[in-house]
Parts: sequence; structure tokens; C-alpha cells
Amino acid sequence: MHSDKKLTKEDTWRPADLRRYIREEERGDFRKRDESERKHHRGDSIEKRTRDQEKEYRREKDNIRERTDENVKDRYSERRKEGSRDRREERDKDREKRRERDRQGDVNKYVDDYRENKDRRRDREERHDRERDKERSRDKEKERVRDREKYYEEEKGRRREERDKERSRDKEKERVREKEKYYDEEKDRRREERDKERSRDKEKERAREREKYYDEEKDRRREERDKERSRDKERERAREREKYYEEEKDRRREERDKEKSRDKEKERVREKEKYYEEEKDRRREERDKERRREERDREHRNERERRRNEPSGEEGRDRIEKYERNQRDRHQERERHKDEYEVKRSEKERRERPADRTHSELNEERDYREERRKDKDERERRHKDRRNYDDKQKPDSDSREHQDLRKSSEEVLDHRSDRERTERDKYKDRRYQEERDPERNDRDKAKTKKSASETSHSHKTTIETEDVVMVSGHQAPSLKYVGDTEAPITSDQDAAEPEYEDDFEKLDYEEDFEEMDESANDSEEERQLSEEKEELSDKRREEIKAIQRAMDEENERMGTAQSRQSPIREEEDRPKWSRGSEKNQSKTSQRGKFINFVAAKQREINKKVATQQKKRSTELLRLIDLDFSVTSSLLDLPPVNEYDMYIRNFGTANTKQAYVQCNEDNADRDIQTEEIELCEKWTQHPPEHYGACGDPNLTQDPQNRTVNEINFDSKRLTAFLLSASQVMVVLLEEDQAERESLRKLQSQTDTLSFSDGSLQLNTKLPFLYGRSISLIHFSQVQRHTMMSVHKPTTKPSAVRLDSCTVICIWNIWEPSKPQKILVYESEVLCCCFSPGKAILVFAGTSVGSVVLWDLREQACNHYRITIGEDEWTLRQPSFSTDAVMAGSGHLSSVTSVEVVPSAIAGGLRPEVPLLASEEESTGLSFQLASLDESGVLNFWVVVELPKANESGSQTDLGLRPGGKVKLLHSSSLLTTERVSQREATKTGPLQTLQLKFLPSDSNHFFIGTNMGIVSHGTSHGLRALPKFYRFHEGGVRPVDVNSISFSPFRQHLFLVGCGDGSIRLHVVSYEQPLTEWNNLTAGEPVVSVQWAQTRSTVFCVLDAASNFHIWDLLKNETEPVVTERINADRVTAMATFGDSGQQNTYSGVALAHESGKIEIQYFTKNLTVPSPAEDEKLECLMKEAF
Amino acid sequence: MMQGSNTYLIRPNHQHKFKPAVVKEYIREIVRDRLSGVRYNPEEVPELCRSLADSIKDKVKNAGLDRYKLVVQVVIGEQRGQGVKMSSRCLWDADTDNYAEDVFMNENMFCVAAVFGSYYY
Repeated sequence: MHSDKKLTKEDTWRPADLRRYIREEERGDFRKRDESERKHHRGDSIEKRTRDQEKEYRREKDNIRERTDENVKDRYSERRKEGSRDRREERDKDREKRRERDRQGDVNKYVDDYRENKDRRRDREERHDRERDKERSRDKEKERVRDREKYYEEEKGRRREERDKERSRDKEKERVREKEKYYDEEKDRRREERDKERSRDKEKERAREREKYYDEEKDRRREERDKERSRDKERERAREREKYYEEEKDRRREERDKEKSRDKEKERVREKEKYYEEEKDRRREERDKERRREERDREHRNERERRRNEPSGEEGRDRIEKYERNQRDRHQERERHKDEYEVKRSEKERRERPADRTHSELNEERDYREERRKDKDERERRHKDRRNYDDKQKPDSDSREHQDLRKSSEEVLDHRSDRERTERDKYKDRRYQEERDPERNDRDKAKTKKSASETSHSHKTTIETEDVVMVSGHQAPSLKYVGDTEAPITSDQDAAEPEYEDDFEKLDYEEDFEEMDESANDSEEERQLSEEKEELSDKRREEIKAIQRAMDEENERMGTAQSRQSPIREEEDRPKWSRGSEKNQSKTSQRGKFINFVAAKQREINKKVATQQKKRSTELLRLIDLDFSVTSSLLDLPPVNEYDMYIRNFGTANTKQAYVQCNEDNADRDIQTEEIELCEKWTQHPPEHYGACGDPNLTQDPQNRTVNEINFDSKRLTAFLLSASQVMVVLLEEDQAERESLRKLQSQTDTLSFSDGSLQLNTKLPFLYGRSISLIHFSQVQRHTMMSVHKPTTKPSAVRLDSCTVICIWNIWEPSKPQKILVYESEVLCCCFSPGKAILVFAGTSVGSVVLWDLREQACNHYRITIGEDEWTLRQPSFSTDAVMAGSGHLSSVTSVEVVPSAIAGGLRPEVPLLASEEESTGLSFQLASLDESGVLNFWVVVELPKANESGSQTDLGLRPGGKVKLLHSSSLLTTERVSQREATKTGPLQTLQLKFLPSDSNHFFIGTNMGIVSHGTSHGLRALPKFYRFHEGGVRPVDVNSISFSPFRQHLFLVGCGDGSIRLHVVSYEQPLTEWNNLTAGEPVVSVQWAQTRSTVFCVLDAASNFHIWDLLKNETEPVVTERINADRVTAMATFGDSGQQNTYSGVALAHESGKIEIQYFTKNLTVPSPAEDEKLECLMKEAF
Repeated sequence: MMQGSNTYLIRPNHQHKFKPAVVKEYIREIVRDRLSGVRYNPEEVPELCRSLADSIKDKVKNAGLDRYKLVVQVVIGEQRGQGVKMSSRCLWDADTDNYAEDVFMNENMFCVAAVFGSYYY
């Protein structure tokens, strides 16, 4: 507690110290000392903070002051000159006196305290004590001030000095009397303290000087007072309020006094008694003081105005002015109170004065010593008092606590004023020490006391002062706002002022109370505590130092931030009144929180910008149309329904969709359907040679085409193969035959004289076994093609073809086997080839039917038998007239079928091969004539169907299924009628046996009858003459005409072989024969008579006795040149063949033997090669006959 | 965005006018760039939103919109099949002020970025 107290005490002493050092040493020196001392003595945190700010402020102020002081100097230079020396002397004296007086004052206080608070402890919270002290000190001061005023007013100059001395001496004497003992004891200690006190004294002196200075100025100010009357009114008002406060305070004081000592009561009673008197006095004095104050105000104002003229600018000055005005107001009030108390004091003193006045100046030193002693005594007494009092007062401590808090906040304000004052003082000390008016010194004195009182605060107060920093921080902005509000209404300031003054008044009162108390405390304890402090607070000091350092740093930071901001701020804010005030406040608020300031400043800027913008916006808004935009949809996401959600989450869990479609553009539905298939089928029962079933469309349309194509190719192939193979076979067989024939011929040349060689056809076939050959016929065109008709046999054979007639088609160059085998059920009596190529075979049967075979038919369509190793195809007739054309057909056996020659118009037929090719090319178009025994001659037209019908034709029942060629009945002739009418009576019924057509004219046909005559008829047109051809020697004889043969070279010549063995050569135009040979065959019937194919005068005759005769008319007209009797195997049929072609002229005769074998005999060369004489011979013969 | 001092222009220059198509393209570019392939994560999305808005703002700022104040709003939400509706309404000078917006959709999130440009007279 003690140490702390001391600390704070030292702290608050600072301004005085400073001043002292300033005076004693150089300024820089002082600063260093100041620093060091501070560090040494002080642990207070406020001090540090405030000091920095103080310095700043001080510097500024100094600058200002310097400027202003120059003016002041000018003004008062004369006065200074005259009074300077005097004043210095005065000051010296004053200093001493004042020191004494102060000491006495202190002693007085102590005495009072001693009396009042005997039991009171030295607790800081002892409110009453302190307040009393303060009051006292204030009283004293006020007394002093008043005295001084009086002094100045009455006796300017010298007198004042004396009175002061006297007054102080009086006071001292009073005190001395009471405390003489104490002083003696304390003298030594006092002396030690004197140094410190001296500084205080100096301060007081200075203040006094300042007061003096003010007093001097007062005169001048009084002149200006008229202007300030308006102010006075306000002051009056303020004063009234002050009075009220004072009364209140008095009341409080009285209450307090009751509690206090009885000694005090006496005094108070006295005071009460005096009160009304005092009031009167006070009124008077106050008026004086007011005047003085006003003067001072005016002075300040003048100063300020002077400053305003300087470049610092109006704002600054205004700010200062405002600030100072506040300060001043506060100060004035304080002083006013002081004055009031002074009145009291002075009255008291006045009572004592008569005695005191006797004290001379010479006693000064003694007094001083006495004072010291007294002090000591008093302090001891007070210790006791306080202790006692504390016991009493403890219950009140709580309330006092609150007061302390308040006090501390007030102290801060006080600090501020202190600082200003100290700065001002410092400045003035340096420059105007002599001229300082007493008022300032007075203030300083008060201040020093105050600061002294503050030091007496306990450690708690130091903490409080720290709190105060906070509080002051809060206060600073509030002050600022005060400034803000004040700024625009400076004219109204007067009205507003009293309120502030009220506030400050209260503060001042309490401060004053404190001062007394504390100043009393500290002086006595100072030394003890200083020693203790050294020891106790070592650690603490370190802590404090650390805190200080931190705070210094903080302050520096803040300071720099401020300094950085301030110039900008100045620039920005110049045009604004409020800126100036703000700047001022910014300085004042440096002691508070900086952050608040910055925020406020920012707010200010914002406000400014906002107002600007607002102005602009209001201006612009007239030009601009604002409208609500159409509500625009930023996003519209429809909710997904459950199924989609499910599909989204789980639908594609394990699947992946991938598809490919080729030909994507052609996504046509129609293309994808299939075509409907239709087909027809037929069937037949029982299935015979042909297929059991068929498909007409299949064969006809698409399939047929393919088949045709295939067939076409295969046809060509087979055609080629056929021809080629035939050629090959022929060649091979010729080879073989030649070798055989060479042997045979050699053997047979013996037997047959006319033969140049022969070959034998292989007729040793199983189905030909035992059959005799009834007929052999050669094709007119294909001269090497021959057919042989084998009669049905009566003997049973392996093959069941017994009743059938078998016709074999041979190629004489290929004798090994027949080309085709034709089968017919009944006996075939006659047969012939088609006129062109030998592709058709016609046959007349004994049952009166005419049948034909188409050799082109496929072998597969015919019945096949396998005999031994060989497979044989037995062909049934393609067309048969059996039972089909009963009406138009033959009723008797057909004796002869003959192709009607196509060359009708007469003339010679062209070349046979040519003809054949013609026929082939024009197709089959020729007539067929068939003659039966009854003389009915039928003409048939051979028709070839465009396509074969394998199912058979329903209209043409005679046509075999698959057959293409059929016969159509054309016409029918009965040739035998006439003959029978004429000849029937003589001869039996006429049988027609042979039919021949005139090769050059198909209209003429010749029919051999059984009457030995050949009738001549025409198929249409006029009857041709002669009607018939008869023997040379008239008469009709029943002789069968067995054979008729037309000459291939002379087509009007024909030979007739009769059954009586006679041979006649007829010319067509004559009834009589050209020549007639009788009995040459020895009565044997002629079987066949045939012209040779290469010589026109040679013909062959075969009789029934198997005699073979060759006639060569050129050589012998009456007898055959060669007669051969074949006895071993009778010849039953014969046919001549030969080709008169240019290169290979051959001629021969085929002889069919009874055994069934066929021999082909080639004629010798003389019978083969034609000669020109033959025609002449024939001509001659005809001429001879006719 | 306060770029210039007071002027007497109360209409923006044509080439400095807020063109929604251009700004929309910026937004699309940025959002597509930043969000493609991103899954919705409730912890990261606030920061993502902020950074998206910042980058869009910077991009548009650099596009030479003189004297325009910009407000960028980015909303990112998860897509779980819920319905979402967002709309805006402004009191402004339709001659000068405009807005651009773009929507980005993912399998699991949607992002709506809107830039409102207001002319600073």
C-alpha cells in the first residue's frame, strides 16, 4: 500500500519536477532526466501513455504558443521591460514566502485532519477527510487568489508583495502556534523534502506570476468587458447553479461534519453563522472574479484570434478555442468555488490576522522550522485519527467505493487539464516568467496539490487510474460528439454551455476534496514509502516496465497510424467545419481508444460520400426511369416421377444398350416380308413309264427355262457327242468290217460274183432270234440308214415280244448293233422313212392302222429291257391310228404307205441333201398316203406339235404321252372302183398291192393290183392317161404286181415285177410296156425289183426261189448279166443302196436271209460306176419301142 | 466496381454495355470448365460456390464493362429428382441494366450462375 501510494505520488509530482528542472537545467537535459526519473520512480501506466500524448500535444501547443507569444511579446514588451527586474526580485522573495505559506497550508491541513480524524486510518477511501482537505486547500487557495486580487486591485505593484507576505505570515503564525512542536521534530526531514517542495513552490510562484500578469491585463480587459455582457448573463446563470451546488455541498459537508469530530462542529457552527455574511461578501467578490474571468476569457480569445490569423488555419484555432473554452469554463468554475471558499477562509483568517500580522519577515526561517515540526506532529496524530475513524467508517466504505470510481473518471479529465496547464506553464516559464499572471500560478498551485492528493491514492487508485484510461477512452468520443454537436451551433454554444459547466463543476468539487486529503497524506509518508518502495516493488516494477513497454509499442503504433492519417484528414476535411472540430478531437482522443476514432472517421467519410451520392442520386433519379424487370426464371427443374427415378437409378444397373442396324436409311417394312410361293402338283396312277407326278409350272416356267438352258447346252453336247460318237463308231466298225470283209469277201467272192465286198449286220440279238425279215428299206436321203422289219415269230423266245413286229434301224456303216429298235404289236406290212432326214418312221400294219415312230424321242421315255449285258430300248409308236380314227382309217390291212413327194409342181427335185435341209428347216410339213387292200387310199398330214405333253393329249388319243408328231387324216380315195367295175367280171376281186407316186409329180400315183396291171390315178384334178399299164400282150390276167420301182435317173420309167415271173419296163405316158421280160426267172414270182442307185441301166431282181439277178441293159437287153442262186440261206428280201456322190461312189444291195441275217453286198466297179452310154441306150430303147 | 469519378454520362457506351450473350458465354465457359465431372459434395460446395462466383466476377470485370456494378449469384444443388424453381426480379433501369444466367446440369447436380449488371451512373 505504501509503496504504491508513493509511486502514484511521485507520478503526480511530475509536472512540478519538470518545471523545476527546466529552470535549473537546459531543456534537453531535463528531458533525459525526466525520462530517467520517470522510469525510476513511476510504475504508473497512465503516466507513460499520457506522457507521450502530452508530449505531442505540448509540442503542438508550444508551436502555437510561440507564434502567439510573439504577438504577445510585442504587445507587452514595454511592460515587460519595466517590470521585469522588479518582478524578478519579487519572485525571489515570493518564492520563499510562498514556500512557507504552502508549508503552513499543509500544516493547516494536517492540523485539521488531526483534529477531525484522529482515529482515521490512512485509507485512501476515507472520503470525508479528503473532501475536507480539499475544501480546505481550496479555501486557502481562494483566499490567496482573492487576496491577490484585492492586492492587485488596490495597490498594484509593491504593496501586493507586502500584503502577501503579511498574509502568509499571518497564516503561518496561526498554524505555527498550533504545530510548533511538530515542526521542530520534523525539521530535518522537511529539509530533505525541501527539494521536492521547492519545485512545487517554484510552480506556485510561477502561477502567481502568471496571476500577476493576468491582473495587469485585467485593466485592459475590463475595457473589453462591455462586449462580453451577454456572456456574463450566462455566467450568472451558471453561477446560480453553482451556488446551488455549493449549498448542496455545504449540506453534505455539514452532514459529514456531524460524523466527524466535535471540533469541527464548532467551526461549522461558526461557519453557518457567518454564512449569510459570507454570501454577501461572496456576491461582491464573485462579481469581481467574474470580471477577471471574463478578462481572461477575452485574453484567451484574443490569443486565439491571433492564432487564427496564422497559417494553422481557422479550423485548428476554432478547435483550440472550443477546447480551451471548455477548459476555461471548467477552470473558472473551479476557481469560483475556490473563491467562495476563500471568502470563508479569508474571514477566518481575518479573525486571526490581527495576531498574525505581528509576525515579521525575519521570523521566516524559524517559522519554517516550526512548520516542519508541526507537520511531523500532525502526521502522527493523523495516523491515530485515521485508524479510529476507519473503524467508524467501515460500513460506509461501499458507498465510498462507488465514489472512487466516479472520482477516477474525473481525475482523468483533470489530468488533461493538468497537462495542458503544465505545458502552458513550461512554455511560459521559459519565456514570460516575469509576466506570468498570478492566476496561472494559482492554478498551478491547485494543480500541484491535486496531483499530490492523487499520489496519496493507494495501489487501488493506480488500478483505478488504469481503469480511468479506459473510461477516458470512452469519454473521448463522447467529448468528440459534444464537439460535433457544438460545431455547427457555435452561436448557440452559450446556451449549451451551462450544462457542461454543471458536469464539470461536480467533477471539480470532488477533485478538490480529494486534493486536500491526499496532499495531507503523502507528505508525511513520502519518505518512508520511498524506501520501502525500492525494496518491495522490484519485481513489480519489472512487471510494470514490461507492461509499459508493451504500451509504448502500442502507442507508437497508434501514433504512427494517427500521424499517417492526420495529414490526409486535414486535406480532406478542410472545407468542413466539423472537420476542424474532429481534428481537434482526434488529438484529444489520442488518449482514448484509437480504434473508435478510426471508425468514427471512417463513418464520417462514409457519411460524406453518402450525402454526395444521395445528392447525385436525387438529381439523377429525375432523369432515369426505374422499373421492375419481368420476373425472369433462372431455373425450372421439374420433379422426376418415381418410375423415371427408378429407371435412372436401377434401370441401367447391369445393362448396356448397344444396337447396330445396317442400311439404316432403308428401314422399309415391305422389304422385310417374304414372297408367297404357289405351285401346282399333279399325280397319276398307276405310274408307268413316266413320272408318277408332275408339276406343270415347274416344267414350264422357271424350271423349264433352266431345264431348257441346261438342255440346250446338253443338247448341243449330246448332239455333238452323238454325231461324233457315230462317226467314231462308224470308223471303228468300218475298220473292223473291212478286216472281216476282206476275209469274208475272199470267201464270199466265190459265191457272189457281183459283189465287191460285203458285211454282215449283227442281227444275232436275243429279241431278233428266230424272226425272218420281211422287208428292208433304205432312206432316200440318208442313204446309209436302213431299216429291217422282223416278222413276229411263232417260237417262244426269252423276250416276250413274240407277237410283236420288231423294226430295226441300222446304219450300214455301223453293223454291230441297230440304232433304234421299234416295236409294234401286230405285223407290219409296209414301212417308209420321212422324206427329209430319217427321223420318222411310218408303217402300215396288217390290222389296218398306220403308225409312226419319232426317232428323236428320248430313250428314257421308252421301255427298256436289259438282256445280258446290254440295255435295249424298245420304242412304242409315237402315234397310231389304231381305233382312234375308225371312221376315216383303214378297214383292211394296209399294203403300202408312201410319202407324197413335196415337189408338186413338177420339175426335177433338187439335190436331195438340199431337200433334206429344206425340210428340216421348214419343219415337218408333208403328206403321207396309205393304201389298204381294198383300194382305199388315205392321205395323212404329218403334224409336229410345238411341245410334247407328257401327260398325254386328251383330244389326240392316238398320240403317245410325250409324243410330238401326229397324223391328221386329210382325204381318202377309193382307187379300185372303176377297176373292179371293168375287170371284176374277168378277174376276182381287185386287190391293190403296191402304191407308188410319180417322183416328179405327186399328183400322180400308181397302184399295183393283183390283176397284173398298174393303175394310174391322180389325187386331184383331171384323170391322167393312160389309166393303167398292162402287159404287152393285152388281156387282164390275175397276176399280182409285187413290186414297182421308178428309176432314180429317168423318173418316167418304172419297173413292174409280177408274180408270174415277168418283168416289165414302162414309160409313164404309155399303156404298153417298153420292154417285157418273161420266163427269165423260170416261172418263179418276182419278190422285188429295184433299180441300182448309181447306174441308170442296171436293176436287181429277186425271185422267190432265192435267185438274185442283175440286169445291165447297156450290156444285155434280154438277159440279166448276173444271176446268183443263193441256196444255203434263202434270201427273203433285198434292197439296193448306193450314193452317186462325187468322191465316194458306192452301190450295193442288202440281202435279208431267211435265217434273219442281213448281208450288205457292195457291187463291183462295173456295176457301180455310171457311164454316159446308159442314157443313150435307154433313149434308144424307148425309140425302138415307140 | 466504382471505377470512375462523377461524370455526366447516364448511359453506358455501346461497347461497354452489359451484353447478356457475351457474359453468358463467360459463365458457361467457367462453369463448364470447373464443374464437368464434379460430384456433388455438400462440404465442398459452399467453397466451390464462392470461388466460382469470384472467378466469374473477375472474368466479367475484365470484360470492359465500364461503370457497372456486378452481382454474381451462384447456386449449386444436388439433383435427386426434386423440382427446383428459381426466379429473379429486379428494380432497375431496363435501358442500361441487365442480367445473364447459365445453367449447368450434371447427373447429380445442377448449378445456376447469374450475373446482374447494374450501371453506376
